[in-house]
Formats: sequence, C-alpha cells, structure tokens
Amino acid sequence: MASHYEAPIRKPLVIGDKDYHDVSVDIAAPIEGRANRQWWIVFSIALAALLWGIGAIIYTISTGIGTWGLNKTVNWAWDITNFVWWVGIGHAGTLISAVLLLFRQKWRMAINRSAEAMTIFSVIQAGLFPIIHMGRPWLAYWVVPIPNQFGSLWVNFNSPLLWDVFAISTYLSVSLVFWWTGLLPDFAMIRDRAVKPFQKKIYSLVSFGWTGRAKDWQRFEEVSLVLAGLATPLVLSVHTIVSFDFATSVIPGWHTTIFPPYFVAGAIFSGFAMVQTLLIIMRKVCNLEAYITVQHIELMNIIIMVTGSIVGCAYITELFIAWYSGVEYEQYAFLNRATGPYWWAYLLMMSCNVVSPQVMWFKKIRTSIVISFVISIVVNIGMWFERFVIIVTSLHRDYLPSSWTMFSPTFVDIGIFIGTIGFFFVLFLLYARTFPVIAQAEVKSILKSSGSKYKTLRDAGKPLYQMPSGKAQMKETKAESASVQIPRAEASDLLSKLGTFDPSKDKADDLKKVKGIGPKMEKTLNQIGIYTFAQVSRMTEAEYNMLDELTGAFPGRAQRDDWAGQAKKLNKKS
Amino acid sequence: MKNILKIGIVFTAVLAMVSCADKDSPNYQYMPNMYFPVGYETYQQVDFLPSGSEALQPAENTISRGWLPYEFANDLAGKDMARLQASPLDSLNAEANLAKGKELYDIYCAICHGANGAGQGTLVKREKILGVPSYADVARNITVGSTYHTIYYGLNSMGSYAGQLNFEERWQVAEYVMKLKQDLTK
Repeated sequence: MASHYEAPIRKPLVIGDKDYHDVSVDIAAPIEGRANRQWWIVFSIALAALLWGIGAIIYTISTGIGTWGLNKTVNWAWDITNFVWWVGIGHAGTLISAVLLLFRQKWRMAINRSAEAMTIFSVIQAGLFPIIHMGRPWLAYWVVPIPNQFGSLWVNFNSPLLWDVFAISTYLSVSLVFWWTGLLPDFAMIRDRAVKPFQKKIYSLVSFGWTGRAKDWQRFEEVSLVLAGLATPLVLSVHTIVSFDFATSVIPGWHTTIFPPYFVAGAIFSGFAMVQTLLIIMRKVCNLEAYITVQHIELMNIIIMVTGSIVGCAYITELFIAWYSGVEYEQYAFLNRATGPYWWAYLLMMSCNVVSPQVMWFKKIRTSIVISFVISIVVNIGMWFERFVIIVTSLHRDYLPSSWTMFSPTFVDIGIFIGTIGFFFVLFLLYARTFPVIAQAEVKSILKSSGSKYKTLRDAGKPLYQMPSGKAQMKETKAESASVQIPRAEASDLLSKLGTFDPSKDKADDLKKVKGIGPKMEKTLNQIGIYTFAQVSRMTEAEYNMLDELTGAFPGRAQRDDWAGQAKKLNKKS
Repeated sequence: MKNILKIGIVFTAVLAMVSCADKDSPNYQYMPNMYFPVGYETYQQVDFLPSGSEALQPAENTISRGWLPYEFANDLAGKDMARLQASPLDSLNAEANLAKGKELYDIYCAICHGANGAGQGTLVKREKILGVPSYADVARNITVGSTYHTIYYGLNSMGSYAGQLNFEERWQVAEYVMKLKQDLTK
C-alpha cells in the first residue's frame, strides 16, 4: 500500500501474525475462559488481605485513632503517606490515556486500559484514607458544602484538605467516565461473542447498546479527545493539590514551592512503575505478549527514567535551596533527614528513586523484562519512602526541640496499608477476568499501520488483504486436512471416555453448531471418532487436554469456549 | 404509569421516614457525640446522691462569700424588731431603686396585692384567693423594715420570697411598697 507512509525506523507495536479476529480472540480469551488455580490462589490471598484491612479499619473507627502509632507531634504518618502514595500511583493511568493520546503515542493503546483501571482502583484506595484517618469519620459529609440546619454553616474554602476532596472526587469521576467510554466498543465485542445468556445479558448492559456506527465512532473520538484534554490538567492539578497539603504549611521541610511539579513528577514516576509491575505479569498470564511488547516496556522504562531524573533534580534543588536559604530550621530539616533517626528511610528513598532509574540509560537493562520488573517494584518502595520521609521527618523534629519525638507504626497502621493493597489486587484481579484488558478497538485501529503482519506485507509491496477465491480455499482445506495426523492409540483412549460412535445406530450431529468448532475442527474431531453432541458434552478438563494434545491446534480453546456445555444444550434441543 | 410508580415509591419512602418521628418523645439523633453532659448540670438527676438530684443543700450555719444571714428571727418579736430597721440602700439612688422595685413588684407581688397595693390583684379579683389586705390598712402599719421581714419570711398565707429575690432586690421592693402605701394614703 503505497498510500501509507510510516517511517521504517518504527518497530511493530503488535507482533506476530495477528489480524483483526486474532485481536478479538486474544483479548476475549481471559474473559471467556475460566479462572485457573493460580488466579484463585492469588485472589484468595488478596481477599484475605482485604478482609484483614477491613478488620483494621473497623477497629480504628470503633476504637479510635489512638490505635495507630500517631502522636501529638507526628499526627500524620502512615495514613497520609499511603494516601499520597496511592494517589500518585493513580496518576499514570490518566497520563497514559490522556497525555499520550494528546501526543498521539500509538504505543499507549495496548496499555491504557489497564493503566486506567489501575488509576481507578488506586484512587479508590487513596480515597479511603482521608475518611478513615478522621477522628469522627461519620461526620465526613460536613466537608461538602451542602445547605443545612446550622444556619447553612459552610466549609472554609481555604484549606487544601478541602481542595483534596474536590480534586480526588473529580479525578475519580472523570477517570471513571473516560475509562468506561473507552470500554463501550470492547464490551460490545464481548457481548457479541458471548455464548452464555448470563454473560450476554451483563455485557449488553454495560456496553450501553453500542452498535459502532460511523456517527457513534466520530463522536466517540471527539469525546475521547475532549476528555483527554480535560484529564491532562486534572492530572497535574490533582497531585498539585495533594502537594499543597504540605507546601502551604509553615513546617520546615514542607513549606516549599517546588512541591507541586515535584509531586506530579513523582506521581508519574511511581504510577508508571506500578503499570510496569502489573503489565509485566499480565502479558505473561493473559498471553498478551504480542500486544504488550518489549518495546512497550522499554518506552515505559524511558518515562520512568525521565521522571525519575526529574525527581532527582527536585531532591538536589531542595538540598541546594535549604543550604542557600540560610534558614537554620530548613537546614536542620534536611540535615535531620540525612543523618537523623530516619536516615535509613532517607537513604532508601534516595537509592530507590534517584539511583535505580538511572540504570535505564543502558538499553540492555531497559529492555530486560526481569530487571524492569524488579526496578518497577523498587521504585514504588522508594516512592513510598519519599512520602514517609517528607511527612514524618519534617514533623518529628521542627521548631520547638521540646516537641521532638519519634514515630513508629502499630499493627493497625500496617494492617490498613496491607488491606488497601489487598483491596487493590482484589479489584484488579476481578477486572482482569471480566474486562477486556486491552482496548481492542484501539489496537485494531493501529493494527494495519503498526502490526508486524501488515508491516511485512506492506514492505514486501503485497496487498494487505486478498479476496479468497473458492477454488484456492478448497485446495487449502484439503491440504490441511491431510496434514493432521491423528495417532490411533491416543484417539481410542479419548474415545473410550467419551463413548464411541456407531454409524449403524447413531446419527452424526452438525458439530459446527458449537461455537469454536469450524469445518476444519469438525473434520479433525470426526477423524478421532467424535461425531455427536453427546460425545462432546462428556468432555471435562482431562479430555480437553487430551484433545489439545491430539489436534495441536488452539490449545485451551475448547475449554474456553465451553464446548461441553454448549454441546449439552444442543443435544437437548436436537 | 411508570412516573406514578416512581412518585409513589419516593412518597412512601418519605412517609416511612416521617412516620418514625414521635411528638411525645424526643426525636432520633444522629451520632449524639457531645449532646449529653459528662459533668453535672445544676438540676440533673443523679443516682449517687441521697436526694437523687445534683442540687444539694449547703451545710447549715455556713456563710458564703458576698452573703450575710438576716439577723431577725421568723416570729412576731423578730418582726417587731425588724419594723424599726431602715433601708440600707443609698438614698441618692432612690429613683433607680424605685424603678427597679416597681419592675420586681409587678412580677412577684402585683398578682395578689394589685399594681397599686390596694390588695386587688388579678387573683383576688378572680376570687382565687381572698383576704389580701391593702398597704394602706392602718391596723397593719407597715414600715420598710417590716416589709422586708415579710418578704424574707412570708406571713400567714404569704410565702417567703427570699428564694426569688436577693438582698438588694428585697430592699428595692420594700421601698417601692412604701411608695405605694404613701400613694394610697394620700
């Protein structure tokens, strides 16, 4: 296709011999199949952590904040540390889907869905902390300016904590709308593929009757662009507002003008690290290596490196300004961070945030999946300690030496944090099994420009699609059917479990009625000796595996499509 | 039809919520954190005191700061002695004292004695009580000191007003009563 020009330097974003159907099948696979044992194990662990966290939260609220390790001097510690940490993690999702959309970055398409899910789930975690760290959380509704019976008593709009309320709630709602809008075509795809009526019903509900007409698509694109334009300033302002919680105070070590951009950079830094952690696992578990390629990982690593360097610059700026200011309190605050009782936290933060992303300058390292995974975790540990260091070291030693103290968390502090991690993974694991984790509609839009299959065809000067002629197809089927060799022994082994077919008594069914069985597969099944729905309906996991071994085509496909269940129904009908 | 159903549901919900309020008992409270006192309120019921009330009698024969006991006894002899006592109030302030005395008299005394002291108060007119004498009654021959004594202890059917009026107020009322007597006998 000569009409299309793409720089030859660009590497394919979808690798492998993928066409549109393959994209749908690959992305729908985790939803249409059943969860495996590992999923259940991880889910149970996450759920246990969540329940433990709920217990800790209930204990806190019913007994009091005194169950935490806070004291009169350090009255913000793990609660706000975790809050800022989770909000920060939530920033990469919107950045990937909005900012990268504005910059027309095609590589965002394979990762934006999961990144946005991550945003939403982590903002939910963040949203817990402002509530549960309140002394009287049942009066939390007082932060909302609603007309009331106290002579319409109002909130004070001067506090960044109130701005936090607006920022976080707006951020969550906009992200949710942005995410869900993008999901409509994908839910519609799942709806149209669904076999089970319940699944069909659910996905019809959540896809809002998406039919994919030209007008719909045109408006869809416009909405996405407008929302991206709105979400970008939102991303910057939300974490700015969170940073104002500290920057607008008078505490040495907090009162800084560098916080807003520095917190935002840190948020992108930690957010991308979290996306990296999750996607490296997800591409493996959900067999999405063709879509989330090493190039994606490398590009995310580059962003981690850049934002990590910005954060590093901010650290140096802070230190320089502290020295340059001549304010003893400020100087002491930084001296205390480096050499005080929390030197280890400062050291951890410095080494994790400043040193670790710098290794990404080496291409060998940034294209290594294992090292990227490790560093992405290290970065999030470092960013947790960044917030901890900023909050606790500035509070525990400030103006009056008589108020100097120490902080140590209790098991409730830790339990709630673990609980939020559990909650996050509960949500994310459920998401990974029920939502299309890659925006297939978007990936399909770049498939012909950036898919390796089409890139090769284009480079070779061949047309991207050829109408199949009838004759050629016939020949192909013949050739293929001959190529499948069925070992006799195993086939009879399988038949003994499914029951044999007696042509004199039984009537062969049209196995093609089962979704997932095509003419080719039907022929293969017939070769084995499977002719009827009754035989297919007796299949269980063991038989599926035997069948997979026999045919060697589409491993796991039969189980995912639930051939046995379908056949059972078809058998009743006939 | 659908709308009627929706309105009906909302209406029922509102009705259900409103129906829980009961005028004969205090309403429901949401999280009454500091609604009930931790300390003791003046007339609060308490279990641990013999009287069942937080308000206790002071020990007898104690004198609190800013207060002195009345030196005349609650009997006729005491009253006779009190008759000679003059008002301790500053006579330069007589007008202000009389104004204050009128105010207090109209609240505490006029209901029986009448606004002009002729013993024709509202209760007497309505015949709820009878036998309230006029201040002008010669046989009574009231003075400012005997008025004070009567306000302090009460006399016959009249009860003590020492609980309602303080030292200064009692003298102000007594002075005002003398003025009423003067007006009546004019």
